[in-house]
Amino acid sequence: MVAEDLIKALEGGDLSIEEVPYQQRGYWFDIKAPKDRIVEVAEAIDEKGYYIEDILCVDYVDRLEVLYHFNHWEDPRRLSVRVEVAPSEPELPSIWRVYPGAAWHEREVHEFFGLRFKDHPNLAYLFLHEGIDFYPMRKERVEVPEEDRQLLNYLPAAAEEDTFWINMGPQHPSTHGVLRLILKMRGEYIEQAEPVLGYMHRMQEKMAEVRTYQQYYPNTARLDYVGPLAFSLCFVGAMERLCELEVPERAQYIRTITLELNRISSHLLWLGTFLLDLGATTPYFFAFDDREQILDLLEGLTGSRLTFSYYRIGGLYEDLNDGFLEGVKRFVERMWKRFEIYDDLVTGNIIFVKRTKDVGVIPKEVARRYGATGPTLRGSGVPFDIRQAEPYAAYGDLQPEVVVGERGDSYDRYLVRLEEMKRSLRVLEEALEKVPEGPYKLEKVPKKPVPGDVYFATESPRGEVGIYIVSDGSDKPYRLKWRSPCFSNLATFTEVVKGQLIADAVATLGSLDLVIPEMDR
Amino acid sequence: MRRWLREQFDRYFGSDPVRLLFALGGLFFATLVVLALLYWVVGKVVTAGLEAWGWDLVRLLLGLLGVMVVVFGNALFLVWAERKVAGHMQIRIGPKEVGPYGLLQSIADSVKLLAKEIITPRFVDRPLYLLAPLLIFVPCLVAMVVIPFDARLQVRDINVGIVMILAFSSLTVLAIFMAGWGSVNKYSLIGGVRSISQSIAYEIPMLLSILPVVMMARSLSLKEVVKAQSPYWFVLVQPVAFLIYFVCAVAETNRTPFDLPEAESELVAGYHTEYSGMRFSLFFLAEYTNIFIVCALATTFFLGGYKGPVLPGVVWFFLKTYALIFVIMWFRWTFPRVRFDQLLNFSWKFLIPLAMANLLVTGGLLKL
Repeated sequence: MVAEDLIKALEGGDLSIEEVPYQQRGYWFDIKAPKDRIVEVAEAIDEKGYYIEDILCVDYVDRLEVLYHFNHWEDPRRLSVRVEVAPSEPELPSIWRVYPGAAWHEREVHEFFGLRFKDHPNLAYLFLHEGIDFYPMRKERVEVPEEDRQLLNYLPAAAEEDTFWINMGPQHPSTHGVLRLILKMRGEYIEQAEPVLGYMHRMQEKMAEVRTYQQYYPNTARLDYVGPLAFSLCFVGAMERLCELEVPERAQYIRTITLELNRISSHLLWLGTFLLDLGATTPYFFAFDDREQILDLLEGLTGSRLTFSYYRIGGLYEDLNDGFLEGVKRFVERMWKRFEIYDDLVTGNIIFVKRTKDVGVIPKEVARRYGATGPTLRGSGVPFDIRQAEPYAAYGDLQPEVVVGERGDSYDRYLVRLEEMKRSLRVLEEALEKVPEGPYKLEKVPKKPVPGDVYFATESPRGEVGIYIVSDGSDKPYRLKWRSPCFSNLATFTEVVKGQLIADAVATLGSLDLVIPEMDR
Repeated sequence: MRRWLREQFDRYFGSDPVRLLFALGGLFFATLVVLALLYWVVGKVVTAGLEAWGWDLVRLLLGLLGVMVVVFGNALFLVWAERKVAGHMQIRIGPKEVGPYGLLQSIADSVKLLAKEIITPRFVDRPLYLLAPLLIFVPCLVAMVVIPFDARLQVRDINVGIVMILAFSSLTVLAIFMAGWGSVNKYSLIGGVRSISQSIAYEIPMLLSILPVVMMARSLSLKEVVKAQSPYWFVLVQPVAFLIYFVCAVAETNRTPFDLPEAESELVAGYHTEYSGMRFSLFFLAEYTNIFIVCALATTFFLGGYKGPVLPGVVWFFLKTYALIFVIMWFRWTFPRVRFDQLLNFSWKFLIPLAMANLLVTGGLLKL
């Protein structure tokens, strides 16, 4: 197995490797490394074909702990590499040369914790504005040094002839929200793309630290407003793992049904807006017509149409209402017929095929080094799905088939998402028959979890959502970190877009299915 | 000096009613003078024109008036029709509140646009920026002059009508590029540049597809072209030319799938990004008029113009034209947008050779 090989390669010296119980912690191996050997460790991990999930930092006041999460497509056992840094000397070597995707995560850690990464290409702020004068996620107030306060103005002037900078966004029809791309153009060709995030930044992780778990829970639906249930479940699942709760079977099945409905509705929204980006207006209305049916169903169940806060720690808010299952059955039947319309209108359309085929090809290697997940990754031909790798809810019984593309271009990502909707319908059909009777929630749920840390991952419509919670035994999380799928997917975009036409860049961006608030958190 | 005058004025016409009376009187006399002058000038011009051209001048003036009516009426109708067609294609209803079936919606919209503030960005190239929306309108009006709506319903039958229309329709590009360049906006500029290369690429096949028609009709006058289609329409003998012409017409009018100069998802709004209010709507007015013109020309060249049984010619003409316009709308609401290099390749590598071949074959067959 890959993990054992890696451990064999890493063993010895001043590394300490520990196997931890997955059921309680959510990851398998805990590797403690001294800070000057982190690049070396990253190289060894890279050699074994791990992809980068996340980099995060926890402030324990007496020490800062940087955690690197890696996972493997074929052997999905998560590694957590810990590096301790003294707050008096907050410096660390950067691993961006091994994993280019780490560059963004390191920028995030730098702006929130003031950890400087040596040898980093560009430590500009990602989320915060340049005038901020303290590091917000530190437990004690730490001032930003004077010379770092201008870190957003990092763009070099267009010195070369025939190139110019163009601002795409934050108010642009095809960036769907408030993403800003600074593009360096040569005529209509893009030479460099520099995304600017943070227009929707709400400091969700800091908010979590000042609220109790129950108070923070509704916020989880506000991260990704298109597929909120995956985020809610991620939080709820992490809490259940931390408190070691056994959730009733019925609740798990209902969760699966709502999750899959939500996935279809999210993919439908993506379908409409993607084609809107390509200039086709009509599919948008058909997709929204179908999405409306799902929203009506979920509204009847949860009471809201966008930010469903339906799950609770240890179960659900309410049991199924009358007619929900019949409604889902009707929807599934209706939806099967609708695919013919989409195939007629879109899939075979020669203009659409020419616009998307071989456009924005993401090779497997790029996807791995940047940590792309979800349909974006599966379009590149990697059969990796958290629903299979680490089954949650009732996915253990209802294994959804994984859809993969071949070339990794925008057309494949389109096909993958379209096919995923069909597979989701099959899961729904199966789940509808299997929903068991019984309680829908636990009677007693502890308000305060035990001290410890936990990782929990779900498959949102856009990719792997991860949450890492450090609990100190109180009723508020000590540290809560989201792993956002779009964040990593957008990082791949900067690599793929080089040399593309602006029209292709729009097609590529659309095919990634970005939701900005989820990325900005 | 001014103050002294003011003092004198106040001394003699000190009170308000007197001042008001004075002002009104002045205004009245000024109006009289202006009206008299105007009457004199217009009378001179008309009599001079009548002497030179006879009643033709009156006909021309009336015709221009009629053309204006058609232009604006058509634009108002097409805005409504487009929204209605789009609505029904997209499982909606479209406008329905203002007037019966929402027919007055476009009037309400234009009143809204008229009432809007016209914003001029600070750093624009003023002459170009201000002239562009006006200039884009000129070719439309000129082209309308030579279109035969019926056997006797034509403002002017010019013997080189086809050449004139083609020459003037190239002017549209100039206006679009003036808008793109004058706006001093990178998106507008890209839109303007795209528009130029697109027009050049698609004017050539358009011309090449009209030439066979001219060869068969043996005339450059539009009326003669219609008359030449007496036993059968030209679309039956020139189907390839018709298709090429129609594709080029869609491209020339910047409609989906060839709406690259204003590609919304890429260039925000392309060359008219910086325009607002009535200036913005002038671009739309021109677009809808252009659609009407290209479809009217297609009708004239290929579909037998105003010819048809039972109904009067003008009805047939509008029926055919609006049927073609409907097809263009259908395109818009079904197709995605093509990419720029694909657009150019399609013209240079496919349409132009095809049109050439068609021209050669037609020429050879006619010679036989």
